[in-house]
Amino acid sequence: MNPSAPNARTEQIEIDASARWPVLAFFGSALLWLLLGGVMQLAAAMQLHLPDFLADCAWFTHGRLAPAAQNALVYGWGMNAAFAFGLWLMARLSATTLRHGGWLFVAAKFWNLGVTLGVGGILAGWSTSFELLEMPRFVGLLLLAAYAMIGVWAVTTFSIRNTENVFASQWYLFGAAFWFPWLYAVAQVMLVRTPVRGVIQPVVNAWYVHGLYALWFVPVALAAAYYFIPKILGKPVSNYYLASLGFWWLAVSSAFAGGSRLIGAPVPVWIPTLGIVANMLVVVGVVIVALNLLGTLSGRYAAARASLTLRFILLSVAGFLLAAVMNLALSMRGFAAIVQFTLLDGLRDWLTFYVCFSTAMFGAAYFMLPRLTGREWRFAGLIKLHFGATALGVVLMIVGLAAAGWTQGRLLNDAAVPFADITKALSFWFAYRTVALAVLLLGHLAFLINFVGMACPFNSHGNAPATFRTPPELGLVKGEGHA
Amino acid sequence: MSSNDSQLRAEQSGASDDSIQQVHAGLQKQKPEKADGYSMLPLVLLGLMCCAVFFGSIYMAHYSLRFDPLVYNEHANRAKPGATAVVALTRAQLGKKVYDTTCIACHQANGMGVPGQYPPLVASEWATGSEERIIRIVLHGLNGPITVEGKDYNNVMAPLGGALKDEQIANALSYVRASWGNNAPEVTPETVAKVRADTAGRTAFWTSAELLKLP
Repeated sequence: MNPSAPNARTEQIEIDASARWPVLAFFGSALLWLLLGGVMQLAAAMQLHLPDFLADCAWFTHGRLAPAAQNALVYGWGMNAAFAFGLWLMARLSATTLRHGGWLFVAAKFWNLGVTLGVGGILAGWSTSFELLEMPRFVGLLLLAAYAMIGVWAVTTFSIRNTENVFASQWYLFGAAFWFPWLYAVAQVMLVRTPVRGVIQPVVNAWYVHGLYALWFVPVALAAAYYFIPKILGKPVSNYYLASLGFWWLAVSSAFAGGSRLIGAPVPVWIPTLGIVANMLVVVGVVIVALNLLGTLSGRYAAARASLTLRFILLSVAGFLLAAVMNLALSMRGFAAIVQFTLLDGLRDWLTFYVCFSTAMFGAAYFMLPRLTGREWRFAGLIKLHFGATALGVVLMIVGLAAAGWTQGRLLNDAAVPFADITKALSFWFAYRTVALAVLLLGHLAFLINFVGMACPFNSHGNAPATFRTPPELGLVKGEGHA
Repeated sequence: MSSNDSQLRAEQSGASDDSIQQVHAGLQKQKPEKADGYSMLPLVLLGLMCCAVFFGSIYMAHYSLRFDPLVYNEHANRAKPGATAVVALTRAQLGKKVYDTTCIACHQANGMGVPGQYPPLVASEWATGSEERIIRIVLHGLNGPITVEGKDYNNVMAPLGGALKDEQIANALSYVRASWGNNAPEVTPETVAKVRADTAGRTAFWTSAELLKLP
């Protein structure tokens, strides 16, 4: 159970080799969706300040393009990236190889077939009216079946683990592996297969949307943060005895928080109230996670800055905290009355999905992919461009959308201001958002080029082989790793 | 950006997976050593949890509105449906019952009396005028001619001082003085008791001439 360091290193190489092709398949598809979804998102954003843009083509009208972009990003980029990272980390921390990876390859094909049909279906006009469930009916079953194969792999890899102990990242991955099918299957049955009636529909939809972000994307991002911070700094997580409490506290309280999206909606008032109270309780879990992660980073920021992975993870942790603040703020009825249905409202999910989750996946990729392919990244400039564009784009989006949303909310609540004037006042901010999204997309393009340069079997001779020193044992330095 | 680009490329790890798991398994079971005798963190966290639960419970109780599936507005009435509350009634409202059993036979439900027989109470200078006079009329009755609203009446009103308590008299008079457009101040039981005491020896009916001498 306690092999000497060289043996451990050999085992890791075997694990990475077994995970190589499934993970590359998932991550490659994820990046293609990231770019495709980003282009659609950019086009949809342009339509808000250039109304003529693509307006004559039914397939690319805003009502189809916007949900198609959202679904491509969430199910194409988000889920694929989470599968790639989650399977790799589960195998690593379970100290076992990813068995029979060929089946995962098949599952990846089916998942991406489902997403393709779904996004195409939305563009063709067959979408449902439910947020994040817009894909046509038949796609749901396909996605669930593909997910079953992927989720089972994560769970069986965990169950045949060769380790005595289980680390925090594994709790989050294991939990998320069960929460997603639960959320998705319930939402599909209650909204698409045998639809419930009346006001229950938005309630189920809000529960699903919130759950998908808080119980799938956030746990995967936290799994990355809990793993990479001690892994790269070589320092144990601070106050780790609190981590399990934080995990359960977040899991239970955020499962009830979906109702807070329905403030002011025509649903029984106890449902939003329950969601608001749950968002108040979430704060405790967020504080514990912050104590763990920021406590570990404190005093080591110079070391963290030197690591590209940790730079992205830092962004991700900041996004996690900001998203929690936004959730709490939007749960305040007075604040929601102003900013609901504005650009600021959209910032909440974007913070969770992009700043918290996506940046964590970028960070993970910079650590994981050289180990899987055994090669260095090819273009150092593109790496810098990717991080720079991401950091700049995130700041632009947060500052801009916050200012724009507040302005928009104030104007919308003023009965003396005609609606057309609000649209005119906001056209600058819509253009601004297009620019911010374009900056982010530029970074993604740089990342994709670098990924192709590294992973493409035909064009990899330019890359130097990567060398990794044998990692030292994690030690408890006196006075460190403790409070 | 880092001065050394090679650092930006292949990330090196600072700890092996195996040791990460072993060290953290140990950390999970033991709290950090107390640096200087006492650790504030668990206490602060417990305080935060208590605050969140306490404030959340209050908020829930206040805005869940009994989990009623039909209540959509957080500012809706919080009382249980069907709940009864004590409503304070005015003397005028209480007096209607006395008026309806005692006075209504002559003065009628609309307070208009019977023309030529029983004088009206609506807009009557007597009913809305001096308390002293009308209390006396109710206590000991009235006999003989009386002019009300410019019309003459000559009839008898029975004494009611023995049948009605002070409070009933006060309520009935308050009802008369506040109904049908009348808007005179209400009569209190204390005033009735005082008049009853002042006129304790009297057995005869009042006449309008006697009453007009009173203030």
